Amino acid sequence: MKVPRIIALARKEWREILRDRLFFTLAFVVPASLMLIFGYGLTLDVEHIPFAVVDHDKSAMSRDYLHRYIDSRYFDYQGDVASEREIEPLLADSRIRLAIVIPPRFQENLISGRAVAVQTLIDGTFPFRSSSSKGYVVAINAAFNGELLGNYISRRLGVPAQTAKALAQPVAVQLRYLYNQEVKSVWTIAPVLMMFVLMITPPFLTALGVVREKENGSIYNIYASTVTRGEFLIGKLTPYVGISVINFLALWLMAAGLFGAPFKGNPLFFFLASVIYVTCTTGIGLLVSLFVRTQVAAMMLTVIVTIVPSVLYSGLLVPIASMDPAGQFEAHLFPAMYYADIVLGSFLKGIGLEQLWGKVLALLIYAVVLWTASFLMFHKRPKS
Amino acid sequence: MNVRSEESRARLQLWWTRLATMTVKELIQFGRDTLLLLAIVYLFVFDTYMAGNVSMQLNHAVVVVHDADHSAASRELVYRFRPPYFKLGGEVLDNREGQRLLDRGQALVVLDIPPDFEHDIRKGKPVDVQVQVDASNTVLGFLASSYAAQIIGQYGFDQALARLGVTERSMQNVPMIRDEHRVWYNPNQKDAWFMPIAELLTVITIMAIMLPAAAAVREKERGTIEQLLVSPLTPIQILLPKVIAMTLVILLGTAVSLFFVLHGIFDVPMKGSLALFFAVTTLYTFTTAGLGLYIATLSRNLAQAALLAILILMPMIFLSGAWTPPEAMPAGMREAMLLSPLYHFIEMGYGILLKGAGLDVLWDSLLGLALLGIVIFGFGVWRFKRQFG
Repeated sequence: MKVPRIIALARKEWREILRDRLFFTLAFVVPASLMLIFGYGLTLDVEHIPFAVVDHDKSAMSRDYLHRYIDSRYFDYQGDVASEREIEPLLADSRIRLAIVIPPRFQENLISGRAVAVQTLIDGTFPFRSSSSKGYVVAINAAFNGELLGNYISRRLGVPAQTAKALAQPVAVQLRYLYNQEVKSVWTIAPVLMMFVLMITPPFLTALGVVREKENGSIYNIYASTVTRGEFLIGKLTPYVGISVINFLALWLMAAGLFGAPFKGNPLFFFLASVIYVTCTTGIGLLVSLFVRTQVAAMMLTVIVTIVPSVLYSGLLVPIASMDPAGQFEAHLFPAMYYADIVLGSFLKGIGLEQLWGKVLALLIYAVVLWTASFLMFHKRPKS
Repeated sequence: MNVRSEESRARLQLWWTRLATMTVKELIQFGRDTLLLLAIVYLFVFDTYMAGNVSMQLNHAVVVVHDADHSAASRELVYRFRPPYFKLGGEVLDNREGQRLLDRGQALVVLDIPPDFEHDIRKGKPVDVQVQVDASNTVLGFLASSYAAQIIGQYGFDQALARLGVTERSMQNVPMIRDEHRVWYNPNQKDAWFMPIAELLTVITIMAIMLPAAAAVREKERGTIEQLLVSPLTPIQILLPKVIAMTLVILLGTAVSLFFVLHGIFDVPMKGSLALFFAVTTLYTFTTAGLGLYIATLSRNLAQAALLAILILMPMIFLSGAWTPPEAMPAGMREAMLLSPLYHFIEMGYGILLKGAGLDVLWDSLLGLALLGIVIFGFGVWRFKRQFG
């Protein structure tokens, strides 16, 4: 392996990239724009759930109860409807996602000490959203019940309201959110997006760059030359790794500067771990490019191995802990998951090599396997 | 006059024959790329299948307990942290150990029960239970904390009722609200009914943009477009067959995925009209194919086309309303979503399949998609014609 040859190849590739103005611009514009759009637009919080009300009671108490929904930032009041029959078309048209039905004699029953059933109808099309909405309903009911029970105890036992309240709610919860005290979702999303963007763009750049030579036939120049396999692969890919590292630095700046996510970890550790990750994802593109002969196929295969797993198996949308064993196994096959832990650990938790060495090692093994496989699969004498 | 109508009919017939021949040519060319075919089968079949096995909800989050009381009462509270939401990950002896597990991501929640927990509850003295949640992933952290608060709240409520001597039977005579929620359209809130549909619609989007773009750019890159341009074909006859061929492929894939994977494996109900669903899918692929053609006119090679496609695809997929609730979007973004064809497609796809909605309900989404389709496809064709006309 001769270094001057590698440098020459890398310079040739770099010049080729540089001459394709649009490609060169997009190589930097795409990652940054994805970060911008998602950083501002990707809200996973379930809020402002539009809901309608059927109030058969129309009493002071039912209004008080309903105002707990109306005043909450989780719900968005869309108005009253006269009967249950009017709810269905609203739910079907997604004008509302939830409806509350207050039964007749709501106030009368509660005051005379009887339980009442309040019905909530929830649109279950998006299970994640419906279970969150259900959680909010349960919480509002629990708070209301606590008050009702307090009043009831105070009347039955004849104790002052304060004591009754303590009796009604004997256990209080003290919640502490670690690492992200204010639960700002952009603090999570911005770092995780780095993982996401660096999972998608480097493989596309690389796979298309290599297959282009194959499809154009210019790769025969390499086949016929004295350049060895290893020299070709390293020389060819160095510029792409370089572009991805620059992109990584830009994304880092955006996540910390623009979106304000606190970086508590060790910058050097994070930088090195990220270079390994980028080498990994570039390697994915390389491996894809060796399987296919046409750029269209390269494009589709890259979609399969990058976009799909980074949506489903990276932990961005779907928590890995809650997958079934098959899903967890698949998640462990892609590098995205390990890097997500490294990014969040470095940004929010402020942990370093001591706790994250396992993930870094996994990425390192991943990179070595990918590059070795590519080296073994690349032949200067293709079969057909 | 008769001659003239005869002539125009012959011309029309020729036009259609040419269109059909070109469509066949595109299909043959497409079928020769075995790996591409495999990739497409994979996306429509295995990918939608895999999506059915993941869930966006909190399942089996690991809870570790620091129990300083070790009483019957504290044990009862701890045992309420059960699957599906939580899973007990054992006990820690001090808070440092708990912190370490949170740092490493081996636990999501640390539950801290104070000494004299049981004693204080018996006495009617208020007790604080501390819950520490890893909020580095805000969605998980938020869900975990709200479920934990629910469990502990219910526990306290039950304790209070028990003190009052209220039994299960006399519950009816305590003034309280019984929560009766019913979930419609997906009563068991199966993610397997949601995720595969979302994935299928995503796959359709990816293909509808990338395949026509690729088919057009390839001709440009290889120079075969020149051959087509010197032939008697009009630009429309070059471009439309590409879109038609890819739409046929996508419709076939959609049918396979819908009948065998979604309905066959996951029992996703197909409540509404399937004819409507396929009609909407066709309209949608044409609309997004317009975006693909636009990309094709902008780029000179496939590498450029792929990057441009990602730039358009990813925001479309993520801001479509399937992953992020449109209601919670910041103002401006919500309006921008209305411009995304996928937003309307998702609304209709779920509406038809899960809700059984028909045109009477979905007409506004359909109108939105049709308008977008005319504008986008028209623009794509216009650019193509201008470049090659």
